[in-house]
Amino acid sequence: MKPKVVWLQGVTCNGNSHSFVNLSGLDTLLQRYEWLYHPILPSSLSLMQLWDAKCDILVIEGGAKKGWQKGEGELEKLFLHLAQKAKKVVAVGSCAVYGGVFKEFDDTICGVLFDGENKSRYYDMLADKTINIPGCPAHPEWIAFALEAENPSLDSFHRPKELYAYTVHSGCVRNEYFEWKIDAEDFGTKEGCLFYKQGCQGPFTHGSCNKILWNETASKTRVGTPCFGCTEPDFPKQDLFSTKTYMGIPATMPLGVPKRAYLTITGIAKSFHIPRLTKRLLDED
Amino acid sequence: MKIELIEKIEGEAFLDVECKKGRIKNAYVRFPHYRGIEEILRGRSPLDALVINPRVCGICGHAHLHATALALEKLVGFGPNEKVRKIREITRFCEMVQNHVKWFYLVIFTTLDLPYDFRSIQAIIQKINRLSAIFGGQWPHSSYVLPGGITCDPSVLDIVQAKRLSNQSRELLEKLLGDFELKNLSGDLRRLFDALDAKGLLYAGKSLDRFITFGNDSYVESFKILSGKKRPAKLHYIEEFSQPKSRAKGVVYKGKFYETGPLARTMQRGERFVKQLHRRYKDSVTTRIFARIYEAHLLLKKIQEHLQTLDIGMSSYEPIEIGDGEAIVAVEAARGSLVHRVCVKEGKIVDYSIITPTQWNLANGRDGEPSLIQTALQNARCEESDIIFRSFDICSVCTTH
Repeated sequence: MKPKVVWLQGVTCNGNSHSFVNLSGLDTLLQRYEWLYHPILPSSLSLMQLWDAKCDILVIEGGAKKGWQKGEGELEKLFLHLAQKAKKVVAVGSCAVYGGVFKEFDDTICGVLFDGENKSRYYDMLADKTINIPGCPAHPEWIAFALEAENPSLDSFHRPKELYAYTVHSGCVRNEYFEWKIDAEDFGTKEGCLFYKQGCQGPFTHGSCNKILWNETASKTRVGTPCFGCTEPDFPKQDLFSTKTYMGIPATMPLGVPKRAYLTITGIAKSFHIPRLTKRLLDED
Repeated sequence: MKIELIEKIEGEAFLDVECKKGRIKNAYVRFPHYRGIEEILRGRSPLDALVINPRVCGICGHAHLHATALALEKLVGFGPNEKVRKIREITRFCEMVQNHVKWFYLVIFTTLDLPYDFRSIQAIIQKINRLSAIFGGQWPHSSYVLPGGITCDPSVLDIVQAKRLSNQSRELLEKLLGDFELKNLSGDLRRLFDALDAKGLLYAGKSLDRFITFGNDSYVESFKILSGKKRPAKLHYIEEFSQPKSRAKGVVYKGKFYETGPLARTMQRGERFVKQLHRRYKDSVTTRIFARIYEAHLLLKKIQEHLQTLDIGMSSYEPIEIGDGEAIVAVEAARGSLVHRVCVKEGKIVDYSIITPTQWNLANGRDGEPSLIQTALQNARCEESDIIFRSFDICSVCTTH
């Protein structure tokens, strides 16, 4: 018997559904499950039929909100009805995990286990069986991992450590510039680190964007876009394209690094001039 | 009165239909949701809109990103160079192509109970989104377009890979669809035509036969077609109006309803294949569906052309200072013209408003004048409501941003 999956949407933009469609070898994964409901992919039931459905894995995309209409019923009721039956709940995307971007408009929107950084009203009921896959959107490989993995090791936000123990900075192709504290003077170049001026949150954001590449090809920082910290409960912060600084250095430190250690290293790194890192990369002889 | 829930679209919508003797007499569209994007933007720095706005929609967020950057550039009268313009178009066209392919198969073929080759469809979607990610870093929800240019600085290697992906996508799609020759259809185009014919749907869903586009790029220009006559369209004639029982506003141009989207664009371009269909079937579901998948083919060719002629030696970005002011712009998204209006004061967004394509195509009538969707459904057989509704392609999430 194939496990039965329901993919239910709350307050969402549908970005995770579409991200999932990008999975390499999607058809092979789809065949391992019986898809009762998915908003885009082939699935057998309609929303109203879900009330009587057996559901083994419940995937939630989008935030929960009281009174939000889902089909002819109410989202929260349908969600709890299915979640109680399910053996596993996968919260996909930052809206389902923390409430997400739309929480800024309506603070009553919350995630499955978390309401921003705090535990949600469903925490006690669902903590045992819920895996959180934050990201805006979540990467399709991360979603596939959550469907397939049995009892993965989780961090305090119920995120699989295998995916979120890394920072977005790990594997970034601009790492050399970070090591020698050379900033990107502007957008639109291959050179320089985006942590110092352009607002990159990669060094303190949990995620494997530069390890498991997006669309199997790139990541934000690889195309010169700063990381906006979309896997964290405080996404989206303010002034996303500029770095807040404190006494000339970024106000938020790389994950786990004491400010004193960082200052010392910066002082030393900056005292050297590395010609290779101050030229255009492809102009190098 | 029968209430139909239209689901497995981009979000959900309700269609209230009144049937008499098997025919639709009245129809009313309701969107039950609202997510507050415009409120979220208020008080933020203008550049934050480049991150917030793609979250309007998981399937056409890239068009929202593009519109945001254009609006902010218009505030200061900046125009990007040719390289930037082409790369922005390449990624936006990629988004449109994958949109069209998804809708054609996952929505239309499914609604008509037609089988399709899922593995090939998904391979096309995956490749075209990968092409987009070479420049944009990821799809969905890239923020690589910003006022002044783009964040990436593509190399020869990137272009080589992008060309290969565009060639592969086009080959795969052409193999599935067959030729766009109305007298000699084959493949999935033939299957679709025969299914519409067998179900008596070839002439279903005829509407007002008025078309409008506001985007200005290498593919379309801003024009309206009224009674077969083409005239320039101007953004300031657009008017939004509230609709009872729905969270979405309707839109009219000089008081009239117009259809926007692939059919409007291909009519405006005078594409032979679409005009042939239109001559015979007018603006019916047949013409609308074929025009949209034909556009996927056209846009793939356009992407290939841009990749051939791209001069990557030009700069990707020029720093510009965003000033105060108000600007309104339009870009073409998969489902039609997307309008963004921004107002910045003292370096912060004080007002932002978005008009989405679905607001044009699925508005309800007012002052006794029926809208596009209402006209299309008028007197249709009751069981046809679903395919007629879906032929316009609803983006409920966009519409209820």
